[in-house]
Amino acid sequence: MMSLNPVQIFKMGAEEEKSETARMSSFVGAIAIGDLVKSTLGPKGMDKILQSSSTNEALKVTNDGATILKSIGVDNPAAKVLVDISMVQDDEVGDGTTSVVVFACELLKEAESLVSQKIHPQTVISGWRKAVDAAREALTNAARDNGNDPVKFKEDLLNIARTTLSSKILTQHKEKFSNLAVDAVLRLKGSGNLDAIQLIKKLGGNLSDSYLEEGFLLDKKVGLNQPKRMENAKILIANTPMDTDKIKVFGSRVRVDAVSKVAQLEVAEKEKMKLKVEKIIKHGCNVFINRQLIYNYPEQLFSDAGVMAIEHADFDGVERLSLVTGGEIVSTFDCPEKVKLGTCKLIEEVMIGEDKLLKFSGVELGEACTVVLRGATQQILDEAERSLHDALCVLSQTVKETRTVYGGGCSEMLMADAVSKLAAKTPGKEAVAMESFAKALRQLPTIIADNAGYDSADLIAQLRASHTSGKHTIGLDMQHGRVGDVAQLGITESYQVKRQVLISGHEAAEMILRVDNIIKAAPRPRAPDHRHH
Amino acid sequence: MPVNISAGGGGDNVSRSEYKDKDKPTQIRYSNITAAKAVADAIRTALGPRGMDKMIQAENGDVTITNDGATILKQMQVLHPAAKMLVELSKAQDIEAGDGTTSVVVLAGSLLDASANLLARGIHPTAISEAFQRAAQKSTEILESLVTPLDLADRESLLKSASTSLNSKVVSQYSSILSPIAVDAVMKVINPATATNVDLKDIKIVKKIGGTVEDTELIDGLVFTSKTSGAGGPNKVEKAKVGLIQFCISPPKTDMDNQVIVSDYTQMDRVLREERAYILDIVKKIKKSGCNVLLIQKSILRDAVSDLALHFLAKMKILVVKEVEREDVEFVCKTLGCKPIASVDHFVPENLGSAELVEEVQTGSSKIVKVTGIACPGQTVTVLIRGSNKLVIEEADRSLHDALCVIRCLVKKRALIAGGGAPEIELSQRLAEYANSLTGMEQYCFRSFAEALEVIPFTLAENAGLNPISTVTELRARHAQGEKNAGINVRKGAITNILEESVVQPILVSLSAITLASETVRSILKIDDIVNCVH
Repeated sequence: MMSLNPVQIFKMGAEEEKSETARMSSFVGAIAIGDLVKSTLGPKGMDKILQSSSTNEALKVTNDGATILKSIGVDNPAAKVLVDISMVQDDEVGDGTTSVVVFACELLKEAESLVSQKIHPQTVISGWRKAVDAAREALTNAARDNGNDPVKFKEDLLNIARTTLSSKILTQHKEKFSNLAVDAVLRLKGSGNLDAIQLIKKLGGNLSDSYLEEGFLLDKKVGLNQPKRMENAKILIANTPMDTDKIKVFGSRVRVDAVSKVAQLEVAEKEKMKLKVEKIIKHGCNVFINRQLIYNYPEQLFSDAGVMAIEHADFDGVERLSLVTGGEIVSTFDCPEKVKLGTCKLIEEVMIGEDKLLKFSGVELGEACTVVLRGATQQILDEAERSLHDALCVLSQTVKETRTVYGGGCSEMLMADAVSKLAAKTPGKEAVAMESFAKALRQLPTIIADNAGYDSADLIAQLRASHTSGKHTIGLDMQHGRVGDVAQLGITESYQVKRQVLISGHEAAEMILRVDNIIKAAPRPRAPDHRHH
Repeated sequence: MPVNISAGGGGDNVSRSEYKDKDKPTQIRYSNITAAKAVADAIRTALGPRGMDKMIQAENGDVTITNDGATILKQMQVLHPAAKMLVELSKAQDIEAGDGTTSVVVLAGSLLDASANLLARGIHPTAISEAFQRAAQKSTEILESLVTPLDLADRESLLKSASTSLNSKVVSQYSSILSPIAVDAVMKVINPATATNVDLKDIKIVKKIGGTVEDTELIDGLVFTSKTSGAGGPNKVEKAKVGLIQFCISPPKTDMDNQVIVSDYTQMDRVLREERAYILDIVKKIKKSGCNVLLIQKSILRDAVSDLALHFLAKMKILVVKEVEREDVEFVCKTLGCKPIASVDHFVPENLGSAELVEEVQTGSSKIVKVTGIACPGQTVTVLIRGSNKLVIEEADRSLHDALCVIRCLVKKRALIAGGGAPEIELSQRLAEYANSLTGMEQYCFRSFAEALEVIPFTLAENAGLNPISTVTELRARHAQGEKNAGINVRKGAITNILEESVVQPILVSLSAITLASETVRSILKIDDIVNCVH
């Protein structure tokens, strides 16, 4: 009966899913991920609570696709691909993390129906490739570049910030926050180094109490009896133990035969510390910031010398401080001439909510600034931080790549229109695939309208009609639930983000569609457990 | 082939039917609203001067009795995510205003109730959310038009608002004692002409069991709860020179391990002698500087002060207080105008602070050390709270904190409004009026918002044992006739002009309650899914 047994190729425990099953499992997984995040899309999208299985973990309330997808555990290969593109989008451009997933998912939905009509996946893929080229071309042609005109460009940036923020928790305060984000990014003067923008969250107050502060804020206190205010500060940033320099050989100890000798040793240790402090002061600094603790004795020595000493600054704070003040982080103090000190015009204490913080203003890196966020709950604060971060990312991208396109579903309709026109000219089965690509593009505005509770079928039909008749600035006006001229409404998005959504969404969908076999490796064998026997 | 999408057990959500798609968000929303309302209902009865207290038993058996919303919620350990957001809300109110932590949660509960009704009518959650924000904005405008400006020199009004806050607490019968303390404490640490904020860390609250809350006092100086150390030493010093040391007066110890090797009898004698000489030397140096009161910072590495050292100090007539916490050092320095001394070489007269009197006082069964008459006082004060048991003291502490916060609010924003539910009713009516000028869904939402505000007077009346419906309707009628300040007089059980009853509160408390509550409600409304996540 050997012939009836299947031939065992894989190891025990390894699994294989073939053609139809494999494709179905990919589609279902990817589509489920898309459906999970699609309700967060658009200005009236909804938020999700992310609840961790361990109870003490703080819960999150978010609207950010990348954050949601990062938190859920996924066990489906295709779903993982979508989670990954969302992460990549987050790293590359910072925004559009939801759109890219939803777009890929809509493409796959179309593909599913095409495949069930017995169109070969490769045909679909080649049709899509032509479609994506056409769409990209249409997008590039529609992009406007105001990079050379500072006034108009700032207006563009403000519009982009408003558009990005309008789908987030900050939408009610978008005027304030878009100004804030644009100011912060313009300070960077094109360097795009977001590290120079610090976000500080303080519970209490409400979102409208948030503000932009030039310079840098450090959540630390000045040592006792030291100047609380320092003008023209020269800052030495260090990472060194300020208790004692111990001999770190295990078990080292001293043997003496009299208490006076112990006392002498104690004095010697003190002297060593004193020497270290003197060396530090010799650098000519009047502010000393250490990552480690500063004990009472050195603290007093510093106060005697009139040096402001700040202990236990966290790692992040120290690095950022070194960036913005231009100082180096040092841990030995033998050659003062080689060490670069950080500088700033003024250090002083400011009070935010119930806490006192140190403010460094007039720092070396003029572009550095701090955004202080206030909000009613920790969740609101966290979400505000994520939203603002997205906006800052997009803006800094736009400063580099100054082209912009219209939002509000307008660009999608424009691309869909171009793809449809190409499909109409193309003979053969590929045309069907192109038409499906256009359909997937149209799904994005459809979802935005659906999320806001408007009649999407009607709105999209209107949009389509306007775009076909050549009105390429017509998009969704979600404030009033109708179609409108997005150029007048000022709904603008970064070209870079839109292009990235189009390309990586398509790439991911293509990759998943190409799969016809899923092989799961056999789990690593474990030693049998004999303890219970 | 089963497809498992979400490892967190979300696999069963995978349904693509349109029907379910619409159903789930609605259910999630209602579940969030129900959970959050449950929290609000749990603390509703604590609102107002006749509100009841809650007894909370912690896991380790500790009991807390309190009337303070923020404390109750902090201890409640809620599990539901939406309920947690309300706990956060009361925390934020605590930080922002310090008082009104119960009101803000009750208000949020009521707003959620209103939004549940609006949702049931088919209004889209984002539409409600936007309308609520505008309503909250409008409310702040209206509230600001109702205020009476306040001058910080007007002690009478400050006292009134502090006692309004205290009247709703367990310790309400002592409000006549605690409110002057709160007002004086804040006034001492700020410069009333220029201050825009108060750092409450400048007001140190010391709790000591014994006596009753009536014995609570404001001390213009310092209090240490430990007694003086050292037998035979003085326990009262006039014209004190106070030194605060951060080094130890005990046998020397190096940071490296050390061993003293004693090989014969004579050496042992010498070791003992040297130890004495070492300590005596330090003590003499201290004495030489003219110091007669010594405060010693707690040390974890070794004995801060050895018995031998205490003996010497007592002989030199130096009063010793040991175990001063490191966190307190800054406060002590600020108060006494002294500098902490980290090594005996720095023990010089310039680093000392001076005070008229340092004395040990017997309080009940234990002793405390008081430092008064400080020569160059920093802007700090100490409040010594007394009470017959721990629960009362803790509650008195929380109530006093609230009262201090009320005064701080007045420093931040110098304006008062009436209490006793009067502003809420007025606000509700004005909003409802304004709603008539609006069109569409917004009008509906504004109306619901306005009605939701009535929960405060409603609950006040209910908790006071009045008939809530007749009270609120009468209030409405009186306000409609233009009596802006008609409110619930809980003591008389009637509606009177609440300003004449001197029930006033800072506007900041009401303002932040409304803005914070609506912000949280909006964020709850916008949630349509709860996702379980893994690490």
